[in-house]
Amino acid sequence: MSIDASNKQFDSARTHTAKHHAGRRTPLRIADVLFTAALIVIAVVFFFPMLWMVFSSFKTNSAIFATPFALPTEIDFGRWVEAFEVGHIGQYALNSVIVTGASVLAILLLGAAAAFSFSRYRFRGRNLFMGLLALGLLLPLQSYFIAQSTMFTQLAITDTRWALIIPYTAMGLPLAVYLLKVYLDAVPDELFEAARIDGASDLRIFGSIALPLLRPGLATVAIFSALSSWNEFLLALLYIQDDALKTIPTGLLAFSSRYVTDYGLLFSALSIVTLPMIVIYIVFNKQIVEGITAGSVK
Amino acid sequence: MKPNRTVTPYLFLVPAMAVFGFAVLFPVIMTFAYSFTEWNGYGAMVFVGIDNYVKAAQDVLFRDSFVHVLIYIAITIVLEVVVGLVLAGLVSVRRRGSLWFRVAIFTPVMLPMVVVAVLWAFVYNNDFGLLNAALQTLGLEDLQRVWLGDTSTALIAVSVVSGWVYAGFYMTIFYAAFNQVPTEVIEAARLDGAGEWQLFRRIKVPMIRNAITVALLLCITGGFQGFDLFYVMTNGGPYGATEIPTTYLVKSVFTFQNVGYGSAMAVVLTVVVVGLGLIFTRVNREKPEEVRS
Repeated sequence: MSIDASNKQFDSARTHTAKHHAGRRTPLRIADVLFTAALIVIAVVFFFPMLWMVFSSFKTNSAIFATPFALPTEIDFGRWVEAFEVGHIGQYALNSVIVTGASVLAILLLGAAAAFSFSRYRFRGRNLFMGLLALGLLLPLQSYFIAQSTMFTQLAITDTRWALIIPYTAMGLPLAVYLLKVYLDAVPDELFEAARIDGASDLRIFGSIALPLLRPGLATVAIFSALSSWNEFLLALLYIQDDALKTIPTGLLAFSSRYVTDYGLLFSALSIVTLPMIVIYIVFNKQIVEGITAGSVK
Repeated sequence: MKPNRTVTPYLFLVPAMAVFGFAVLFPVIMTFAYSFTEWNGYGAMVFVGIDNYVKAAQDVLFRDSFVHVLIYIAITIVLEVVVGLVLAGLVSVRRRGSLWFRVAIFTPVMLPMVVVAVLWAFVYNNDFGLLNAALQTLGLEDLQRVWLGDTSTALIAVSVVSGWVYAGFYMTIFYAAFNQVPTEVIEAARLDGAGEWQLFRRIKVPMIRNAITVALLLCITGGFQGFDLFYVMTNGGPYGATEIPTTYLVKSVFTFQNVGYGSAMAVVLTVVVVGLGLIFTRVNREKPEEVRS
């Protein structure tokens, strides 16, 4: 099938028949161009707010007001540096890295162990525990955050990093266990039995056979767990008041209320937070799309 | 596989179940328990039976918050699922060289919602915002508005931002589903003279029905749980025009210290979300037979 042919049909007619296939070269090129143009227009409309954000970060307040669409007259990263240092964006980013890193590690380790147990053993209470975790796939944050917050206050966990690492781990586990179990279920039992005959302990079998086999699954789980921890807002808002511990979402909110009228600086902060995500996305685009779709289609 | 010791399976399970039980299951039960009390979070807790639920049923603000979230969900179904489907259809017409397009549309999904919300508050800003400036350039000053400060536009304005973010997300899901449609089916339809639009409407969309059902489930249950955009952009205002269940219950619990009442509202919301989830899971389980027949 030629691409050109499909575009022509898409653009205009509903009643094309096979005989139209002859001699359509020239008009179809135009349709092809139009099609590409349409895609470009859609992409630009979607992308424009982000371009505007980056352009505005190089402008002064008066330039932002007077000529919102104009390109910046000079590219000066001074405001970016200022936002990063004075505005604590660096600190927020570091906090996000620590919280996200710890949560993802915990999710991978605890999730893989639980999936291994569910997949390889038959034991009393197995269905009950699997059912409870499956419930976690359906339960919204709203079903537990009120009691969780009073509990964390009583245990004096609030305003520590644990207040985020613990719930992020707990929230990520159900899906992680579910997905990793699917991976492990596909592995033939003989592989494990063989290791058992060779005298390997359960822990050894988990560490040297199950974990390496799980690597692609772990990568997928790591991606969607990392993104949801990195972007989580409600719990971070409720549990962390100490500015030195804030993650990017709540930190940025604090930043925007502190510099409420310094638009250039705000746009700089937004750009600093956004650009690395775009770069990461472009580099790992395939894995991220897989991870996010697997993470959502639960 | 037989464990070396009977206790081994439990040892592998304990860490995960402990964290999950501590941070999710136990608080779920406690939230349910709180919903039958009147409590400010630290003083004496008074058992009040189902009073909080009766109060919730009569609370106009709570009812309105559900109306708002339903409107929001209706708009986002169009702006996210339908637009996502159309974009995926466009891209799947010719797959070659569409990566840049998919990257451009998907990028907002990667950003924290707070970043998106602050950015779009600027787009809607009435002094220098992109939207009003664009209207001015086009000579449409009459349409200029204080988008987030006007009760008639605020809810729509927030919904549009949600659409901007998630259209690319659903496009990605549908694009993956379209790629699973067997090429023979498409080629056969094309030989029969089907145009691209007919292919999309009669072949591709019906064949990815399961993906569309899942997308609708995500959009609806996700919509009920909405918070970030609303909190940052309007926090329920102007005059409660964008108050949704979660912003309302966060206010009740954390601003007005009505832990009991807030918990009751949280339970109602949970029942709605979990109930919808269970219904959809059942519907989707029945789907494959339907498609075959």
